[in-house]
Amino acid sequence: MRSLPSYPARFPLLLVLVWAIFVLPSVVLASGTPDHDASANSHPSYAGGPPQLEKAKGESCIRETEWMRRNHMDFLKHRRAETVRQGVRIRSESLLKCAECHQSHEKFCDQCHGYVSASPDCFECHVYPK
Amino acid sequence: MTMDRRTVLGLGGVAAAGVALAPGLTLIAAPPPDKSEASGDQRWAMLIDVTKCESNCTACTRACRQENNVPLFGDPTRDIHWIRKLEIRDKDHRRPSVSLPVLCNHCENPPCAHVCPTEATFIRKDGIVLVDKHRCIGCRYCMLACPYKARSLVYHKTEFPEGGNPNVPIRAKGVVEKCTFCVHLVDDGKQPACVQACGHAGHKAMIFGDLNDPKSEIAMRIREVKTQTIREDLGLKPHVHYQGL
Ligand code: HEC
Ligand code: HEC
Ligand code: HEC
Repeated sequence: MRSLPSYPARFPLLLVLVWAIFVLPSVVLASGTPDHDASANSHPSYAGGPPQLEKAKGESCIRETEWMRRNHMDFLKHRRAETVRQGVRIRSESLLKCAECHQSHEKFCDQCHGYVSASPDCFECHVYPK
Repeated sequence: MTMDRRTVLGLGGVAAAGVALAPGLTLIAAPPPDKSEASGDQRWAMLIDVTKCESNCTACTRACRQENNVPLFGDPTRDIHWIRKLEIRDKDHRRPSVSLPVLCNHCENPPCAHVCPTEATFIRKDGIVLVDKHRCIGCRYCMLACPYKARSLVYHKTEFPEGGNPNVPIRAKGVVEKCTFCVHLVDDGKQPACVQACGHAGHKAMIFGDLNDPKSEIAMRIREVKTQTIREDLGLKPHVHYQGL
């Protein structure tokens, strides 16, 4: 009975295969493409680093700052459905109120949204008092 | 000291309201003091006495445009009207012509809401028919369904007018809109802008109130005098009633 080739005998073949499939193409591709600045092609806002937010007026936001940063979009959309469809109005937390502390949406909301390529259209209709 | 069941349960509720599960996450948050909600106990309606409506007076339509930032483009095929003045003449001149404002009738069976494919148009618990502009896709089925021609599509981008009202959002192109009974004022316990203006102009042809409250002026007037709605035959049960039509 012929025995199967032992492990050391198969090893180089396997190594060559792995190398041919995974390493070779990436080496070829990397050397084939010209060097370029990674930031030149991306969104303009990335170039200047993280968004610069205008300091808000007032002591604190309507919720904790971290919570707002993460959840303001869900908060606004949830409230919007409640207000328009159920008539639930909480005057101190309406969209209009944001403007009392965040005085310019260009220097606040739009800074972040540009950075993450989100483009909510809220202020096409909603007034953002200066 | 003894406490009855209700008091004890009430205290439990107060305690539960403050339970914090994690920072920023409370079990039951206490309702803010400035919160209000539409209620099914109310049925808002309007009564227009056409015998008191002056034919050359436009106080109501002007007040509506001012309150709701409704622009006038000057193009009759594209203009937005939430309320408009009509003149009804008898062809044989047997009866004097009458002047009346026509607006969304806030029907109990609103055909506009029934045809809306996105449920943007809906009837609120208190009977006010509204367009949720966040959901409207501008298909205009509702405009065809409405027998009162109360709806307009926004054809142009508009700007916030000089001296406009920041409490009412302006509009986006491609969204249908109509009279809201000044829902933002009604929710604050005020009267719609047209009704206020009609009063200020000294005509008092329009009254607004809650039909479910038997002691309200509108409920009493509708019980006592003969009133009509437009196209009663359609069975839509409008909430804009007319007297003297
Ligand atoms: C009483 C004033 C006030 C009101 C009203 C207010 N905010 Fe804030 N908000 C703040 C303050 C203060 C901060 C902390 C950031 C700072 O120090 O500039 C903040 C932070 C935020 C942040 C996080 C910013 C960051 O640095 O990551 C968001 C998002 C935000 N607010 C959204 C809103 C929205 C949306 C509304 C309206 C629903 C609103 N805020 C209403 C005062 C306010
Ligand atoms: C700290 C940065 C930051 C600030 C400040 C900020 N936003 Fe945002 N906003 C975001 C991010 C991130 C998203 C999420 C994008 C996503 O999920 O695709 C977002 C999404 C939203 C959305 C949902 C957009 C969609 O397409 O569903 C709304 C609405 C919104 N923000 C409103 C506001 C308003 C109003 C303000 C100013 C008062 C504001 N945001 C300030 C970062 C911010
Ligand atoms: C086509 C116009 C239009 C657009 C676009 C629009 N809204 Fe609205 N929004 C309205 C109207 C009209 C109301 C009803 C106002 C009322 O009843 O007082 C409203 C009400 C609201 C309300 C409740 C009232 C308040 O001020 O708190 C919220 C919250 C809201 N919108 C959030 C948003 C957000 C977030 C966006 C963007 C993602 C947005 N809206 C985009 C027209 C618009």
